[in-house]
Amino acid sequence: MEWIDVAAFDTLPDGGVRGFEVAGRPVALVRQGAVVHALHDICSHQFAFLSDGVVEDGCLECPLHQGRFCLKTGKAMGGPVDAPVATYAAKVEGGRVLVCLDRPAEAEPDPGAEPAPARRAADETFVVVGGGQAAGEAIRTLRQRGFAGRLVLVAEEPQLPYERPPLSKEILTGTADAALCRLIDEAAARGLDLDARLGRRAVRLDAAARRLALDDGATLAYDRLLLATGSRLRRLDLPGSDLPGIHYLRTLDEALALRRAFGSAKRLAVVGGGFIGLEVASAARAAGLEVVVLEREAALMSRLLPAPAAALLEARLRAAGVTLELGAAVSGFAGEGVVSGVVLADGRTLEADLVVVGVGVLPNLELARDAGLEVADGILVDAAGRTSDPAIFAAGDCAVFPSPLRGRLRRLESWQHAREQARAAAAAMLGEPAGYASLPWFWSDLFGGSLQLLGLPLAGDETVLREAPDGGALVFALEEGRLVGAIAFDAGARLRRLAGAIERAARVDAEALADPTRPLDELIASLAAGGSLIASPKRGGPKDSEQGQHAMIDRTPTASPLRNDPDGFEWPAEGLSRIPDWVYTDETIYRREVERIFHGRTWNYVALEAELPEPGHFVRSNVGPTPVVVTRAEDGAIHVFENRCAHRAAEFCRSLRGKAKEFVCPYHQWSYDLTGKLVGVPFRRGVNKQGGMPADFDPKQHSLRRLAVTTRRGVVFASYCDDMEPLEDYLGPEILREFDATFDGRGLRILGYYRNTLPGNWKLYHENLKDPYHATLLHTFLVTFGLLVAGNKSAMLCDATGRHGVMASAKSEGKAVSAENRQEMRAYREGMELKEPRFMNFVQEFDSPWSVTMTTIWPNLVVQREMNTLGVRQIVPEGPNQFTMVWTMFGFEGDDEEMTRHRLRQGNLMGPAGFLGLEDNEAMKFVQDGMLSGAAGEHLVALDPATPVGTSETLISESAIRAMYQHWRGVIGV
Amino acid sequence: MSSLAAGPTAAAHSGTASPDDWSERLRLRLEIEEFNVAYCRALDEGRLMDWVEFFAEDALYVVTARENHDAGLPVGLVYCEGKGMAHDRAFAILETAMYAPRYLRHYVSNLHLAGVAADGTIEAESSYLLLQTLMDRPEPTLQQVGRYLDRFVRGADGRLLLAKRICVYDNLLVDNSLVYPV
Repeated sequence: MEWIDVAAFDTLPDGGVRGFEVAGRPVALVRQGAVVHALHDICSHQFAFLSDGVVEDGCLECPLHQGRFCLKTGKAMGGPVDAPVATYAAKVEGGRVLVCLDRPAEAEPDPGAEPAPARRAADETFVVVGGGQAAGEAIRTLRQRGFAGRLVLVAEEPQLPYERPPLSKEILTGTADAALCRLIDEAAARGLDLDARLGRRAVRLDAAARRLALDDGATLAYDRLLLATGSRLRRLDLPGSDLPGIHYLRTLDEALALRRAFGSAKRLAVVGGGFIGLEVASAARAAGLEVVVLEREAALMSRLLPAPAAALLEARLRAAGVTLELGAAVSGFAGEGVVSGVVLADGRTLEADLVVVGVGVLPNLELARDAGLEVADGILVDAAGRTSDPAIFAAGDCAVFPSPLRGRLRRLESWQHAREQARAAAAAMLGEPAGYASLPWFWSDLFGGSLQLLGLPLAGDETVLREAPDGGALVFALEEGRLVGAIAFDAGARLRRLAGAIERAARVDAEALADPTRPLDELIASLAAGGSLIASPKRGGPKDSEQGQHAMIDRTPTASPLRNDPDGFEWPAEGLSRIPDWVYTDETIYRREVERIFHGRTWNYVALEAELPEPGHFVRSNVGPTPVVVTRAEDGAIHVFENRCAHRAAEFCRSLRGKAKEFVCPYHQWSYDLTGKLVGVPFRRGVNKQGGMPADFDPKQHSLRRLAVTTRRGVVFASYCDDMEPLEDYLGPEILREFDATFDGRGLRILGYYRNTLPGNWKLYHENLKDPYHATLLHTFLVTFGLLVAGNKSAMLCDATGRHGVMASAKSEGKAVSAENRQEMRAYREGMELKEPRFMNFVQEFDSPWSVTMTTIWPNLVVQREMNTLGVRQIVPEGPNQFTMVWTMFGFEGDDEEMTRHRLRQGNLMGPAGFLGLEDNEAMKFVQDGMLSGAAGEHLVALDPATPVGTSETLISESAIRAMYQHWRGVIGV
Repeated sequence: MSSLAAGPTAAAHSGTASPDDWSERLRLRLEIEEFNVAYCRALDEGRLMDWVEFFAEDALYVVTARENHDAGLPVGLVYCEGKGMAHDRAFAILETAMYAPRYLRHYVSNLHLAGVAADGTIEAESSYLLLQTLMDRPEPTLQQVGRYLDRFVRGADGRLLLAKRICVYDNLLVDNSLVYPV
């Protein structure tokens, strides 16, 4: 009889369950107070890990079908199970949980077993990685709370932790020096007994061994680790972007260098109209420089600020003498040896002898991701900064805020957030109860005034603008009649009084808030006192208040979907948790989709560049239902134009693909070049001066309808919209990362095509891949052979708009494929063994933590990376009730024959005859059948109400589907 | 490899075929036709595990669209390298896959004997029609129209086995899903 040390007692959540592999056997440990129960971790019913389930009423409930097992005896207590699971003796000794696999739990534990002792933190080592606000705050908090053990700081910069807000404010204006930024100075570091490893980078984190390797070869063993790795600058890669005189601003050294540059520069160009860019502009104006701010979007901070707030901000810039260029796309930098100007996409060059680029930051996630922590747009943490590893915590820019804000997890890049999250994490590292739920708060000093944001106003919100009697202004952001945030210009004190009202999302009537007869301070006082603002009884008519304040309501279409649709469509009152059948079956809705989505502001997949290796190559494709031709012209550029003769609408190109010098419509021989330009009209001048085209006929006016084209990593997209944002912005960082992980720069090699028609609505395909709930339930192939289980590491990611998504999963190391588990699965169903299991091998070839990603790119592309079988799927809608799917399967140049064959063998998983693919097709048909053959009804997509829309922390969620419909409704107007 | 490609008449004219070729040809044609009948019966009756037994151990079984085949692109809707993979597919379809119940019916014709190698390997080609009947529709649908590109070998007992069957379908668009082997 052998007691095996399984885990530290205090890593087990009280009242919760965790799964372990003990001597090859899956064991679920459940802690209830001081007692630990050990049960076999695989359900006796179907294959699922009980440790993914729930502890309730003395039972452990299976996640799959809610079978319940007694914690003490393993007996089946309810649900669809009748067979028990094995139990094992377990005890706690010296803070460790010991399990004996040879003895069931009924046996009394050894005398002398003791309840968990209190932590003896003095013996432990805590390591903090990072050199910013969160790191400094956590170090201070740990010591304040009495942590007596060894405390190590690893920071990349050769500085003790400092805060960054002054870098673009006081440091630039020269009103303060570096000391202002210091969170911890040399003396404080000594007082804190801090082992500071400055200028050192953490290069590898071994979470299992609790070891952190540094770039100097040192390895730190830790008991608790805080990742406060922050973010790094996005850098431009444009012609001339390495010229001297082009600055970025993230570190203290960079701020000091920029301050020095102010001394000799005359004209500053700021690329990027975000907060950093504007603060630099403000400081530069104060230093007497001429300043031009270049913003790519049509408004400042168009994703963050509602329009009225952006307009106020723009007015401030102009009043301060800043030249503001909106909608200005930078294409490069001019200069001989040193920068002399910024080149715009429209051909202009704006003179500047100093340039600052502020185009955003990217979170530093590599360490966490490589260590196998759960990572989305940031390191996923709970309310106390805990990551998916019980010994590792994260805070600041690199961590994703635990609770959904305005419907999605959001990574907040702010001083206040870094500070509060770090404090909570520090408490949690010490095992103390911790958490925080402070309202997001952000401020910026600009042109002698201040701009502050409280709560989470978003660009599409309904807003009410109120001017304050003393010159400041407040923009209130409302969502469905509730106050969700506010933006203050020189009105910080008023803003802070609104904190309570924003926190409780006070009910606010826009008309009442905008009522000029009600003084602003009276409204604020009423909200601060806990009241609501409901519409006041109708008065005689609007009149100016005695204070002469101005008020304005702004309703954007996205904030207020049309309630009275001209065609009578009315969304169910329950909101996004219901989807009415007409979304999938109605012809009018479908026509709107073609016009507003496929022919609207979207990038549509049309081809892979590998299909067009040489000039003259062409491919027939579609944008929405509309046939197009994709060509490579003589100059090597790719063109996309409608496959519809400008004369009589004939679909002139009939071959799937080929090589041509020109396109000639067979009906009347009108001819077009490879760019879609009309070059020849037979008998244009008639015969014998009779007949022919009108004298003023201009062939230039009758080219084929040509679409905007963009490519990335060999994938070609087209758009009917001529001023589309760059694809990178259209996708957003989360989706782009997964796109680039698949299209990793290797040349593509086409392996062939599948085409199938599906008798369902085209959106069902998107939904299928935004529905992680179905994966283990429908696709029993994977479950049966132990290739996917509910416990596999997975994620369902959404972009900020909700239209794109990535369903990702990782073949779990050991857990799902261990010999023990295979044994269990044989027990589950005799004879279930593949004769050729090699086709399920995963050859690691991607820089990604995921072995499978299904990326849905709105509106017509799915990028399939199912281990090593790769493909793009193009959705071609053919009316509300049918669409065609075109699959282009590919490998990479450099694949040897065995790798190509491996991809082909693995292709049996997907496609119209794939083990998984055919099931999805069948299920979607069933759904459309259900709608077409029955009475009109609605779908229920209510899973995971804690995440109303967007990226969810659980796979048992439909939040990504709801996010898609939030976007869809805004575009379709229902 | 003796040429059987041109058929009996052409062969007689060319003078390369002996009278024995006629009986050999008839025997082979009958044997392959009977093989195909048995093969189709196994599939049409849903006996997928029996279907596996029509293949040699290292057989290649691929179902692919004509556009791929004509362009030399190797991908298959179904791509089985070896009898083991055919077995796994049959097993997965029978035991794990979810799909609406259906009946299939194969019609195979136009057998073309392309050649017999010295080792007895036979190259042949046939056309096929595959009809599918779902339970909720009165009319069957044409699931595939295509041809089998076959290579036959002899098993230890002298029985024909498929060393290769490439099913090349002309109808590029598959109707929703292809559940059973072709």
